[in-house]
Amino acid sequence: MTGEEIIEKVKAGLPDAIQDTALPQGDAVIFVAPDCLQKVAAFLKDDPSLNFDYLSDVTGVDYLLEEREPRFEAVYLLYSIDHSHSIRIRVGIEEENPSVPTVSELWKGALYPEQELFDMFGFHIEGHPKMERLIMPKDWVGHPLRKDYPLTTEAVTFSYNRDFKSELVKSKPPTR
Amino acid sequence: MSVTEQGLLERDKDTMTLNMGPQHPSTHGVFRVILEMDGEIVKTAEPEIGYLHTGIEKNCENKRYIHVIPMTDRLDYLNPPGNNLAFCLTTEKLLGVEIPERAQSLRVIMCELARIASHLVWLGTHALDIGAMTVFLYCWREREMVLDLNEEVSGVRMMTSYIRVGGVAKDATRPWLDGIRDFIDYFPAKVDEYELLLTNNPIWIDRTQGIGVLSREEAIDWSLSGPALRASGVNWDIRKSHPYSGYEKYSFDVPVYQGGDIYDRYRVRIEEMRQSREIVKQAIEKLPAGDYKTPDNKVSLPPRETLDTSMEALIHHFKLVSEGISVPKGEAYVPIEGPRGEVGFYIVSDGTNIPYRVKLRAPSFMAIPGIWELTYLASQEYSCPT
Repeated sequence: MTGEEIIEKVKAGLPDAIQDTALPQGDAVIFVAPDCLQKVAAFLKDDPSLNFDYLSDVTGVDYLLEEREPRFEAVYLLYSIDHSHSIRIRVGIEEENPSVPTVSELWKGALYPEQELFDMFGFHIEGHPKMERLIMPKDWVGHPLRKDYPLTTEAVTFSYNRDFKSELVKSKPPTR
Repeated sequence: MSVTEQGLLERDKDTMTLNMGPQHPSTHGVFRVILEMDGEIVKTAEPEIGYLHTGIEKNCENKRYIHVIPMTDRLDYLNPPGNNLAFCLTTEKLLGVEIPERAQSLRVIMCELARIASHLVWLGTHALDIGAMTVFLYCWREREMVLDLNEEVSGVRMMTSYIRVGGVAKDATRPWLDGIRDFIDYFPAKVDEYELLLTNNPIWIDRTQGIGVLSREEAIDWSLSGPALRASGVNWDIRKSHPYSGYEKYSFDVPVYQGGDIYDRYRVRIEEMRQSREIVKQAIEKLPAGDYKTPDNKVSLPPRETLDTSMEALIHHFKLVSEGISVPKGEAYVPIEGPRGEVGFYIVSDGTNIPYRVKLRAPSFMAIPGIWELTYLASQEYSCPT
């Protein structure tokens, strides 16, 4: 199915749960609220003509610098192996208490990337069996891929430069 | 072990917990596995990752598009052209530029040569790990030829950065094309040689067949991709399902095996090397004439000789070098079929010359939880043959 047909089909199947749709460069994109995510995901997987049985990736975006409401977004990339088509689900997540339900009951491959979302963005994944840091050390403070997390350099322990400032260099917003 | 009331150590279960890694010669990339062993049989294996995390995604958010390309090389040093291509395709999708056919063919040649080299490294090291030294040396010999070809066209053996936004870095040279022709004549006999050494070798079969079996449903459920998915009987190849860079023009087969064990993953990769060689052969034979990068000077540098005569070219050159490419606002994801599976970049652009968010879909990262839950390292009762 083409992107337009997929969007038509999803809209017809779940008229209440879909907030918005888009077709950037022909890709089907749907916007869903966090509390509808599991319902939409189950529909996408179980409907025989859509049959999105393969989860490619889950990722997050922090729209802090764009001052968008809500601030965070989780993005789910899905394929159908039999029909060779794809869809993107974008889920807006509030800044206070960022939380999103897990989809790992439908696709087990979501376990790792969802754990990474917690690690890198601090999203609470409801229903995830292992809500702990995946990549960063267990005692790490902060969530590195948030836009308000500064890009730092490591403090230099020994230096021949007398005036070397060992304090961390806070990153400015990148010069455009 | 647990401590009894008398203060004695008591053995409470029949398994032993063993730490493997993070620095272990057989993990090939630093990660730690916590093994639960029953004698020589691995009962469960829990991977712990993060030792190789370099924060490239965060780094990309502070670099211009053109500066991201050398970093994509270092994501996976066995497949730099594929990573370059995935990033460039996504950027080009946002930019909406057309890539000349010659550039597309050169990209395909580089990516397929990288796939051959990557599978050779896999085969060599895997064979070495389970006791076949000769294959390792043979594979390195052929991989060296591919690295020499990389050096000829890009100046670098491994981190080529050859594929750029808008095309490729340099046009193909005659020694490179001749070298590839020699290589594709030479290579098939060598693949047969590896197969002669391994495919019907009883020790090889004993150590690979029926080990680490993943069914079709499990492989899809765990988001495996690439050869691991195809060895479990799933006919899924991004080059066929979502063709990019003109892959629809080449005729090649996607090898699919049903066993889902290490032996079938080996056979898939052997067959893929043959198919990659077929694709390179077709691409070389039909290599179109024309530009090796897009003539759009907002994306790629104008030819050096025009800088002396054309004011416009000089302005474009200055703007591109000092500011870089400005990508329109939007978000895009383009997957490619890398040697290890699906590689893709999800890029969010805010309309400036620096990507707002770059997310890499890494095939090996997605494949690791399969070990954790299914413990497919040793899902079959297996002990070392004497």
